[in-house]
Amino acid sequence: MIGIIIQGFLLSGLYALIAVGFTMIFSVGRVLNLAYGVYIMLGGYVYYVLAQVLSLPKIPSFLGAVLAGVAFGISTYLFLVRRLEDNPIAVEISTLILAVVMQAVIILVFSPAPRSMWPLVPGVIHLFGVTISKNIFLAMIVSWLVLGALLVFVHKTQLGRAIRAVSMDTKGSLISGIDSSKINIVTWALSGALGAIAGVFFATYTQLDPAMWVFPLIIAVAVVIVGGIGSIMGSLVAAHIVGFLETITTGVIAPELRGVFTLLLIIVILIIVPKGLLGREEI
Amino acid sequence: MKKTLLLWAIFAGLMCLLPLFASSGTLRVFIFANFLAIFAMSWDILSGYTGYISFGHPFLIGIAGYTTAMLTRHLGTPLFLSMPLAVLVTMAGGTLFFFPALRTRGTYFALVTLAFMEVTYGLMQVVKPSLTGGTRGLSGLPLLVTGAIPNYYLSFFVMFLIALGLWALTRSGLGTALSAIRMDEDAVKSAGLSTSKLKLFAFMLSALVAGIGGALYTHYLGSISPRGMFDINFLFTILIAALIGGEQSIVGPILGAYFLTFLLEYLRPYIPGAWRFLLYGVIALVVYYYAPKGLYSIFQAGANRFGKKTRRNGQYGQTT
Amino acid sequence: MAKLLDVQSFTKKFGGLFAVYDLSFHVDEGESLGLIGPNGSGKTTTFNMIMRELKQDEGEIYFEGKEISRYSTHERVKMGISRTYQIPRPFREMSVTKNIRVGIMPDEIIRIISMNSQSDTEREIGKSVGFKEHALAMYPRELSMGDLRRLELARALATNPKLLLLDEVFAGLTVREISELSELLKKKRKEGLTFIIVSHDLKTLAPLVDRVVVVNFGQLIADGSFEDVIANKKVKEAYLGK
Repeated sequence: MIGIIIQGFLLSGLYALIAVGFTMIFSVGRVLNLAYGVYIMLGGYVYYVLAQVLSLPKIPSFLGAVLAGVAFGISTYLFLVRRLEDNPIAVEISTLILAVVMQAVIILVFSPAPRSMWPLVPGVIHLFGVTISKNIFLAMIVSWLVLGALLVFVHKTQLGRAIRAVSMDTKGSLISGIDSSKINIVTWALSGALGAIAGVFFATYTQLDPAMWVFPLIIAVAVVIVGGIGSIMGSLVAAHIVGFLETITTGVIAPELRGVFTLLLIIVILIIVPKGLLGREEI
Repeated sequence: MKKTLLLWAIFAGLMCLLPLFASSGTLRVFIFANFLAIFAMSWDILSGYTGYISFGHPFLIGIAGYTTAMLTRHLGTPLFLSMPLAVLVTMAGGTLFFFPALRTRGTYFALVTLAFMEVTYGLMQVVKPSLTGGTRGLSGLPLLVTGAIPNYYLSFFVMFLIALGLWALTRSGLGTALSAIRMDEDAVKSAGLSTSKLKLFAFMLSALVAGIGGALYTHYLGSISPRGMFDINFLFTILIAALIGGEQSIVGPILGAYFLTFLLEYLRPYIPGAWRFLLYGVIALVVYYYAPKGLYSIFQAGANRFGKKTRRNGQYGQTT
Repeated sequence: MAKLLDVQSFTKKFGGLFAVYDLSFHVDEGESLGLIGPNGSGKTTTFNMIMRELKQDEGEIYFEGKEISRYSTHERVKMGISRTYQIPRPFREMSVTKNIRVGIMPDEIIRIISMNSQSDTEREIGKSVGFKEHALAMYPRELSMGDLRRLELARALATNPKLLLLDEVFAGLTVREISELSELLKKKRKEGLTFIIVSHDLKTLAPLVDRVVVVNFGQLIADGSFEDVIANKKVKEAYLGK
């Protein structure tokens, strides 16, 4: 029981990070970035190359992974999305195509076989009589730190507040003189960074796989639908609901049924509360 | 109108004569193209028209395939029963799972369908392998007809009838209403139309076609597996076929399906596996960027220019 | 005279701000009501609530004596309320006639499919709002603002409304376009159509309305004839400041 609770919290932290990176673009740019999972994938693979293949020390490898995420995020926006901005359907489709293309690229560079990654911090610790890997524990700590920093950024800095303004009302913020292009670049960069950070941990938690970009998307979907759009708090709460649901499913019911209850939850929420539990927008 | 019917007739005529010239290998490529065309059309009637992008068509096709496969394998159900049942199950199941998302917004719908497909892929491999065949799936299923030529005619006629049916529907007010949803759904509501009803109808049409295609395809191949049905590559192929061919046109997906299938065949000896998807993706992105209306629009533009030339020849100095 | 639309105590809050507060007014059958007020006073929000594009936080709405809060946008349109938008929303990839056709379409799939695609109804409606024959085949990107507003009107009229909500329908028009549109509205008024017209252009509005309702900061501040309202001290303060 305690094990489930602890595991739930650990996983939810990571899920929250994944979800927030995704919903940022959704709230600010009103577009669906289906290539978001690629940032996670890149984070994992780049860290792998830097730390395991090239044997660089951990911190620079980590930063390298984050940089890769940021670079890819900004590139996706500048070269693909910006031109298609007023056609959200085109963005949906082209980001999906981009994701599949990147999957093919990863297969070509790394081979389609999944690989295991060494944990960032090996070993286990004992908490309340439960054994948990230090790696996952670190993942949760880092996730919370990053999310905390993000909350501060978004509420206390001018750039952050500008981002919030755009996410609430694009037209209004444009009239107030906010440069939407700059905001978008920052948002996509942040999204890439968050995704990459999540990716490094996610890859150690599961494994490296050219198709690993899909699952984080599903987590993000679940959190968006359950929590609604418009607040980071909403995403945090929803991430915990989803995280615990998954932990209980895999731990208590059956590991194979992993995504099923999440999907059922999605449908139930869509039927009863389409706006999401804490959503701000009218559907 | 008459000119288009004539074009359809010519198309059908040419395709019927094909087996006289083509080897059975080529015919098999055409068979695959026909099935892909069916799937691409089923995608187009929903996603191309209403703009609710579905990433869940493999899910629908897969339900149909697995239903008929399991019925024939485990219960010995005859094909004339198992296949219609499979189609009904697809329509019912699809509506049950996707309608809640369809009712809301296009973005939610896209995400939910993607999630479904992914989870089903995992599920089908592990849940009740005795029924579903697990990772390897089921094989040795009864075939509807045997041989390249009969299968060719069957796949072509089914594809052709579906094409005619969908084409006629979209030329009616239904096509206008559905494409209006894509342009501005709220404005459609303020014009007094229930968009939920329209979307549901488009979805059921789409599921119907996908179900028919899925059931037939399964009994052409004689086997079914999660890999072939529920994975991203299958989705990708259908999507690209519809997009390259030209969304919102019914004819476009047919063109796209043929184009993609033959491209695949032509490149197969030169380009190994993963490169192909890279190539598809790049081609798709390029086409989408520069000719978003797809091959069909290029085709139409050419036909228009041809029409103008003949008209100019007919009447002095008068062009329309 | 029967009340066609009766709005009672409409309240709508956005975050901490009341866009509309305790707003009540009515329109009688055949009446033409002006809805005026400074920028941001809640006029469009009120229209949005009448059309159920937004849900009111509090308050009731009666149409033809029946409370309609639970009905969705398209259901209200079917009951007989239609609107135009401040910024026209034509279907961009459809011609004028096709745009109007969407308005004509009945809300039944079978009838939509069996609809005669070359009917004259949409052309007549198009011409009745002033489109010339050759303009009917044009696309929204080729139309002037005046024509776009005409198209909005045509599409709204195509739904056969009893009550028509016009949101800033004169904005961005040339003098000639304004006078043509005014004439058109006067004609419709004579035919018995009920209107609520939102407009900043008080001079154009005056001859078109029987009564005027004034809102400021989401609240009702005056309700009466045009002359009475214009002379009202609170109204003057709202527009000109104290």
